[in-house]
Amino acid sequence: MMDQSKKNKITSDLLKPIGITKTFHIWMGFLTLSLAVCLYAYMFQLDKGLVVTGLRDYVSWGMYISNFVFFVATSLIGMLISAVLGLSGVKWASPLARIAEIIALAFAAVAGLVIVSDMGHPERLLNVFMYGRLQSPIVWDVTVVTVYVLISALLLYIPLIPDFKICHEKLVDIPKPLRNIYKLLSLNWKGTEDQEKLLKKSVWILSILIIPVALAIHTVTSWLFASTSRVGWDSTIFGPYFVTGAFVSGTAAVIIAMFFYRNSYKLQDYITELHFDKMGKLLVLVSLVYLYFNLNEFMVPGYKMKKFDATHLHALFAGRYAIMFWLVQIVGLILPILFLLFGKMRKPLPMTVIAVAVLLGAWFKRYIIVVPTMEHPYLPIQNVPMNFKFYTPTLIETFVSLAPFILVLMIITILSKVVPIIPIQETIEHHEESK
Amino acid sequence: MLKSNIKLTILFLLAIFSFSKINAQAWDVPADKKAKNSYIKFDENTAKEGEAIYTKNCVSCHGNPGKANNLKTLNPIPPDLGAAKTQALTDGELFYILNTGRGAMPSFKNTLSEEERWKTISYIRSFNKQYVQVVSKTDPTKSKLVKIKLDVDSLTNKIKVAVIANEIKGVVLLKDAEINMFVSRYFGKLQIGKTLRTDSVGCVLFDFPKNLPGDSIGNLEIVINVNDEIYGEIESINKVKIGVPTNKPSLTEKRAIWNVLKLAPWWIIITYTSILLGVGFILLLIIKNLFKIRKLGED
Repeated sequence: MMDQSKKNKITSDLLKPIGITKTFHIWMGFLTLSLAVCLYAYMFQLDKGLVVTGLRDYVSWGMYISNFVFFVATSLIGMLISAVLGLSGVKWASPLARIAEIIALAFAAVAGLVIVSDMGHPERLLNVFMYGRLQSPIVWDVTVVTVYVLISALLLYIPLIPDFKICHEKLVDIPKPLRNIYKLLSLNWKGTEDQEKLLKKSVWILSILIIPVALAIHTVTSWLFASTSRVGWDSTIFGPYFVTGAFVSGTAAVIIAMFFYRNSYKLQDYITELHFDKMGKLLVLVSLVYLYFNLNEFMVPGYKMKKFDATHLHALFAGRYAIMFWLVQIVGLILPILFLLFGKMRKPLPMTVIAVAVLLGAWFKRYIIVVPTMEHPYLPIQNVPMNFKFYTPTLIETFVSLAPFILVLMIITILSKVVPIIPIQETIEHHEESK
Repeated sequence: MLKSNIKLTILFLLAIFSFSKINAQAWDVPADKKAKNSYIKFDENTAKEGEAIYTKNCVSCHGNPGKANNLKTLNPIPPDLGAAKTQALTDGELFYILNTGRGAMPSFKNTLSEEERWKTISYIRSFNKQYVQVVSKTDPTKSKLVKIKLDVDSLTNKIKVAVIANEIKGVVLLKDAEINMFVSRYFGKLQIGKTLRTDSVGCVLFDFPKNLPGDSIGNLEIVINVNDEIYGEIESINKVKIGVPTNKPSLTEKRAIWNVLKLAPWWIIITYTSILLGVGFILLLIIKNLFKIRKLGED
């Protein structure tokens, strides 16, 4: 049995970030203000219609849908870390599971809103539920994203039950209603053997369930594209291509979150250099798999250069999108793989810088998947103004696209102020086992 | 070797020739066509109706008359029809251009009726303040006297078209009238054979193809279009049992991916519902576990 003082130290260390501080006020104030600016831009779009964006008849899925794909992608990390690594008994990942789950929940919950931003008439979202066809990948996507949000919320909540009990007991300074909420959420947790068994079993079931659901959410998102015969989307590997790409952006997001949590919450003892090292290796692994899919996705049609594919691929390789394309592939994928092969690069700071590059690359990769295809239809674009032919996002569109990011940051910030982001109970158990 | 060189040269010359022909600015309109006038008196109403036709068929290339927003990327450039050069043409010339088309400009002879074509010209003329119309002496009411008769020989698949006019003074056979035969198809009219002219007894004989799919009993909608100097343009639509009986079920009759929700394929309904029910069941199980945990902790 571990001594009580060590136990207390873990508890107090991990509970310290909880509670409202001045920094929280400033940070949230900043986020709220930024969100207000973005919402103003959105109100403008709502009033004038999508004409205020760069979207026109040909490119009708621009920055917004790229954003949506990015959000769904990033949310997949919850499944990789808490389910895949958890089920395969990877011990080092368990302190990161909650961070991954928070990121997953925040990104998945906001993804639905991102779709709405692409609608000139957002109230028509109801039409999906009223007139949706089961045959349409859009209906599957709505279903599966909702299910994923539900499961992610449960996977975040259930392991938190013992920690809520600790929060209720230890956080004596917080207002009474808040403490009562902790009590309510702790479901009379006493840590009895029966309760323990039920909790472990529930987490186990959900961890298994979330794997196919997470695969489905991004596979179905890829089918929104791959179920058409358009150049660049007409691909049989789009499902795995999207899923592996999702792990890349999600891993990068977790690394960035780890860095900020570690520094601002003083969690150096809990998110150690070992965790960064392991996450770095994980990022190399998932990036290599993604690189392999990229090779297939571009090399195979590039070798054949079929008439319509050729127009599209030329725009990517040497044309209008060449700079973006090669930056994404080299700076966002190949260089990070090479750098992270070196142990020195897998230290917190350099790796966070690399993760930022990867995450940015991941966002622009979605843009490259969505937009250029729409500029290359099979039937020639005729008799339309110049701005119909090539898509350039407007400032308003950019602001509206920023809003979901701000929302995600807000959700993450609030969640990490009300729940311990490193599982307390699990960490204590872990220490006891390793003794 | 030499032979193929000659062939190439001829092809080359032909290409240049046809290219220069497209590029030629002036229209070579026969004198009789040039002198043709509209039997419709142009006024505000006809111009207004013409505008609707213009917006549908012409504006995408020619732009709005007088606004110089015509599509300048085409070769030859479709002129702004409000400009002086176009307005200097006679009504007959405009009508001819509209009828024949050239290069990228399609012929509107078979897509717009004569009345519609004249109304379009009326709209174009409304941009010319100096324009004074010369109305044709053709009596539009005369076209109402014309009767078109179809005689189908089902053995040889030939259709004889006879055109007569029931004048008060007696029956007149329409000689040397232009006859076009069309069959209505999904996306427009399919012309059968070439444009023919009636013989001395006002008849023409069309060879009808034997393989045109008709409806379930083989009926086809045959459109006869008559163009006569005196009687004007007359059109008649006839249902004739001359096609191949075809009974294609509608593509939206059976369960299919592309059909409405009610007619979704069973495999999709079963897969989707069972997955949803399965996941829902598991989630309920989890919720039940949470209640159990709560119950176990009660004092």
